[in-house]
Amino acid sequence: MGEFLQTLFVGLRLGSVYALIALGYTMVYGIVRLINFAHGDFIMVGGYTLIFTVPLMTAAGLPAWTAVVIAVAVCALVGVLVELIAYRPVRRKGTNMTALITAVAMSLFLENLAQAIPAIGPNPIIAGQLFASGGVRVAGVTLDYITIYTIAVSAVVMLLLYVFTQKTRLGRAMRCVSEDKGAAVLMGISVNKTVLATFAIGSGLSAAAALMYVAQYPKVYTTMGSLLGLKAFVAAVVGGIGLIPGAMLGGIVIGLVESFSTAYISSSMTDTFVFFILIVVLLLKPAGILGKNVGEKV
Amino acid sequence: MKKLLALLLALCMVFALAACGEGGENSGGGDDAASGDTIKVGLIGPITGSNAAYGNAMVEGARLTVREINENGGILGKQVELIEADDRGDATECMNAFNNMVAEGVKYIIGSATSGATAAITGMANEEGVILISPSATADDITTEDDYVFRACFKDSLQGDIAAAWVQQQGITRVGTIECSADTYSSGLVKSFTAACEARGIEVAAAESTATMDAQDFTNQFNSMVSAGVELVYAIYYYDAVGAFLVPQARAAGFDGIIMGADGFDGTLDYISEGTDYSVFSNVVYTNHYDATDSSPVVQEYVTAYEAEYGAMPLCFAALASDCMMMLQTAIETAGSADDAAAVRDALADTSVTYEGVTGTFNLDESGTPVKGAAVIEFVYDSSAGGLEGLGTRLVTTISADEL
Repeated sequence: MGEFLQTLFVGLRLGSVYALIALGYTMVYGIVRLINFAHGDFIMVGGYTLIFTVPLMTAAGLPAWTAVVIAVAVCALVGVLVELIAYRPVRRKGTNMTALITAVAMSLFLENLAQAIPAIGPNPIIAGQLFASGGVRVAGVTLDYITIYTIAVSAVVMLLLYVFTQKTRLGRAMRCVSEDKGAAVLMGISVNKTVLATFAIGSGLSAAAALMYVAQYPKVYTTMGSLLGLKAFVAAVVGGIGLIPGAMLGGIVIGLVESFSTAYISSSMTDTFVFFILIVVLLLKPAGILGKNVGEKV
Repeated sequence: MKKLLALLLALCMVFALAACGEGGENSGGGDDAASGDTIKVGLIGPITGSNAAYGNAMVEGARLTVREINENGGILGKQVELIEADDRGDATECMNAFNNMVAEGVKYIIGSATSGATAAITGMANEEGVILISPSATADDITTEDDYVFRACFKDSLQGDIAAAWVQQQGITRVGTIECSADTYSSGLVKSFTAACEARGIEVAAAESTATMDAQDFTNQFNSMVSAGVELVYAIYYYDAVGAFLVPQARAAGFDGIIMGADGFDGTLDYISEGTDYSVFSNVVYTNHYDATDSSPVVQEYVTAYEAEYGAMPLCFAALASDCMMMLQTAIETAGSADDAAAVRDALADTSVTYEGVTGTFNLDESGTPVKGAAVIEFVYDSSAGGLEGLGTRLVTTISADEL
């Protein structure tokens, strides 16, 4: 029982972070139908921003996690810049495929740019503890507070995003753009501004993900976002990409699969199982667990 | 908008160029100084990347020794010129660095730090007739195949055996292991430790693994260790995972037995998250090539010189790189000329030569690997010192090869 619970908690810990990252993927995909492969690297940007701003916050007498405010701003700015400089011009001229390749290029560019910045460099930096340690003990096993916070943050973000897209003007504009770009323009919606806002929000979310990730796994390095981003992307697809609750569900599912396969099957084949699950889900339900199968408009 | 774009692109190019400039400086050490009256010695190590602490220690140690050699008149009257290259701990990068050095006419190379990277260039060194001395590639087969390959460290089968001998001395009878099965160093060491344990009647009750050396969560693995009821876990990872993830997670999973590592644990102190409960590091031990707090005059002289130069204690990788340089110096002097790599190779292959290095006094065996002991080091936390300052290491014991 103890071992099962421990495995469950580790799965939740991993899954809650994946969920938070997957929200960013799904958000951008939902609006522009672009898989933003640089999203994982926005987490790296957030991680380094936290490393540099946490000392400022603690010096000002604030708790360390408040640095996330600055990180959200920096990440949103980076996201907006990436959209303005790379994605928008490519989307205007090319196809979905060219945009996808640009996203991969941006991912590599951000990783290498970070290395070239002297204060960052190629060596990993270990962050300090961002939250007080400790947790709730259940049947002799500890569920970290950080895990609970991460799940709570993911759930709150998910709800807020849902309400935002349903109730606000900008949110409705996003849904319009997502459904039919041409019609949205005719209705007087500025597509460019809406997409830009999506990128700002999606990238800002990656700062929140960075905070929760670094709180649990305090090693920050320039390529930290690549595998992390990939797994979160898998989570978004498994849950149903483009769907906000799907990202949350997918994240938790991937985290649990990873943890249980480590504990009960083979710990060196964890990643194999994660991607195996992706294939199984895609075969059985191509649109993801929560996705509805709608034929693509040609 | 166009202008902004142009400006940003220009900025990007500046960054890219700056990055190139840096790389160039590293590898191109001293093209202008290259001439017939210096001895070029190459140094390949992970100067950047996740094992950067190793590479930088190697560079610092080698520079220190080269400077001392040059101040004392060089080798056979010739000044030594150190050419440094970065392999980022990656096999392909290591091969590139090696080829660049060979193209520059380098005949003597010290490197690389990790077994994975070094294994990629041992065969090439033999083909090119270039002498390769690795400071810290401990995998068993590094020196067995190739005549031109030597090292300054013990091999993993000895390190694993020494670890098992220490475990036996503690009266421990049930142990577990965690390895990265895809990594030469980690899996090799765990294999030799397991074999040595079985030979000594210690039961290996649980064996767990991870997919990569960069694994971030060890909770489930330690959870199994708790279920298996082991008293000690032999976990072979590098310093960046040990301090940030492995030890804190092991304690959080409820494992309070001994965590034992190997030389890869050296450098952990700089990679611990500030604000961790530092007491989790008690009961963590590792085998190492030497202990910087050793009171022997050779070690203390070295540590004093190193601290004066760099303001920090030398990691074992610095001391081992210095020993590589010393071995090379002795061999070139025995050969009588630095131009004939084959003669220098013969001098290094002489198993009767005793080297007095910082990491111990040793002879090389037939394959070119030192026969020497290991230090068992433990972490100690003094809570009165407060914070990370209170965490340090202490020599538990040294076990020599002939005590086994």
